[in-house]
Amino acid sequence: MKRKYIGIERKEARWGFAFTVPAILFFSVFSFYPILNALYTSMFDKRVLSLLPPDFMGLGNYTYIFTSPDFWNSIRATFVFTLGTFIPIVIFSLMVATFMVNLKSKQARGFFQIAFYTPAVISSVVAAAIWLLIFDPRGLGNQWVNALLNTPGVDQKWLADKTMVQVSTMIVYFWKYIGYFVILFITGLSAIPPAIYEAATIDGSSKWQAFWRITLPLLKPTVVLVSIMAMLQCLKTFSTQYLFVQGGAPRAPINVITLNIYTTGIRNQRIGRASAMSIVLFLIMLIFTWLQFRFSKSEEVEY
Amino acid sequence: MEISIKRIPWASIFIWTALILVFVFTVMPLAFMLTSSFMTSRQIVRMPFSWIPETFHYDNYIKALQGNDGSWIFPRNVFNSLFVSITVAITTILIASITGYGIAKFNFRGRNLIFMMIMATMMIPFEAIMIPLYMVATGLRMQDTYAGLIVPFLVSAFGVFQMRQYLTTFPSEYLDASRVDGLGEFGIFWRIVFPNCAPVIATLGILSFRGQWDNLLWPLLVTQSEKMKTIPLYISKFAEEKLTDEGAMMAVAVIASLPMFIMFGALSKYFIGGSAVYESRKG
Repeated sequence: MKRKYIGIERKEARWGFAFTVPAILFFSVFSFYPILNALYTSMFDKRVLSLLPPDFMGLGNYTYIFTSPDFWNSIRATFVFTLGTFIPIVIFSLMVATFMVNLKSKQARGFFQIAFYTPAVISSVVAAAIWLLIFDPRGLGNQWVNALLNTPGVDQKWLADKTMVQVSTMIVYFWKYIGYFVILFITGLSAIPPAIYEAATIDGSSKWQAFWRITLPLLKPTVVLVSIMAMLQCLKTFSTQYLFVQGGAPRAPINVITLNIYTTGIRNQRIGRASAMSIVLFLIMLIFTWLQFRFSKSEEVEY
Repeated sequence: MEISIKRIPWASIFIWTALILVFVFTVMPLAFMLTSSFMTSRQIVRMPFSWIPETFHYDNYIKALQGNDGSWIFPRNVFNSLFVSITVAITTILIASITGYGIAKFNFRGRNLIFMMIMATMMIPFEAIMIPLYMVATGLRMQDTYAGLIVPFLVSAFGVFQMRQYLTTFPSEYLDASRVDGLGEFGIFWRIVFPNCAPVIATLGILSFRGQWDNLLWPLLVTQSEKMKTIPLYISKFAEEKLTDEGAMMAVAVIASLPMFIMFGALSKYFIGGSAVYESRKG
């Protein structure tokens, strides 16, 4: 009896292993090996075309990038973009989501949901291409802003000025992802039981008070998680900046880390240096991911 | 006595105005893409902009397909994008479901370790490993091939995670009953488990398809010849050629967006539900 029992367990283990091995092999080759390889390569002066074996240089690539104004500029560009994008996205999408759950008509809510989400459906390259034309000196961007500010004929230099081009990339991202974050917040808001609001109304609270005293505190975990998610997204941004540079915008103000890795590693063939940048990017994102896990564990709310 | 005066519903007027403004902001650029794809370049940058094309300028679509150099490479690029995205969606669904099933329903030593390892890969951003991956692809001679475009994305850790979460609640009695009935382990997976994963399959399929349809960075590294390029690269080339023809560029954009719009129209609940699922993963 006992033997047979072990036999079944063994058999089960064998099948379980067989089902998971392909994925493990895949992740070993295409995730673990590359990140370890990046760590290793970042210690060498490796170039693609060189026939000589690469020189070991310890932390040389790191001291190089951390003393290079170009890399600091990339860190600056990445963080400016991240902060300038995620803060407005989180605030606006929370506002829009609150408005939407207060809509009485279910159809209207569904309609707005789909409409707001549509930009998230198209690819980021298409989004950047559309906005490249809108930001043309003679394009819609200038016409809209001049109509709003009543300043006819002014060119805002969307793609030419070094501050404006950063704002422009943020607008593209904001436009593309606002609907996505609205939906995340609607999910969070719908989880708050209506009974709490009813109780508050009976106690004489206004909608405004209810928002600040009930909704926001209960929604805090969602806000934190959504913020970190948005930040992680923004730190990896590439397509918009790449397309804007291809379209003739100045590189330096929007030379985010990913774009710098690409230029250094692929165009300039400095693999070692690009690997060091990759490791830095990885560590930055790791810190945020760690924060995310920490918050998702400690911030559970029970209704 | 109360005098019945209808109070003006300021709150709801405010909400509607705000939502309509957001609506205008999100939809205008898409409308601009569509309408300008039928305009001549001169009309696109005319001030003030008129939203209705003077004449429906279908030429843009021909130019889009033909390319600036007249090579007609775009249809091939569309095919590449479709082929890569569909293949990745299929392999992700298959491998993620079988792996998720193995982790959820089988007891074996190292199971938790394997699961933790797969989860850990979610912390490795693609952007940080693209350079070594490029070296791997070069080493395996996958540059400029479909294999090179597809293989690094065969399965996603997020997919495995979703499938595992979903299948943990799958009743084991069904599996045992099928075993008693003499169905082999692979048969159980394929005939009993897999068909029951439909909701996850839909969201995961859409997510993986979109991921590759949208992918600019990896094809930029791994492809060299025009005939292996995908749609995002074709669009970036259009932008690079100094916006030679704005109308044709928007026609390309419309063609590139069509499959996504069709999918979104038919399966919008999986798109929107998918983002909710994504949050619950984090939460």
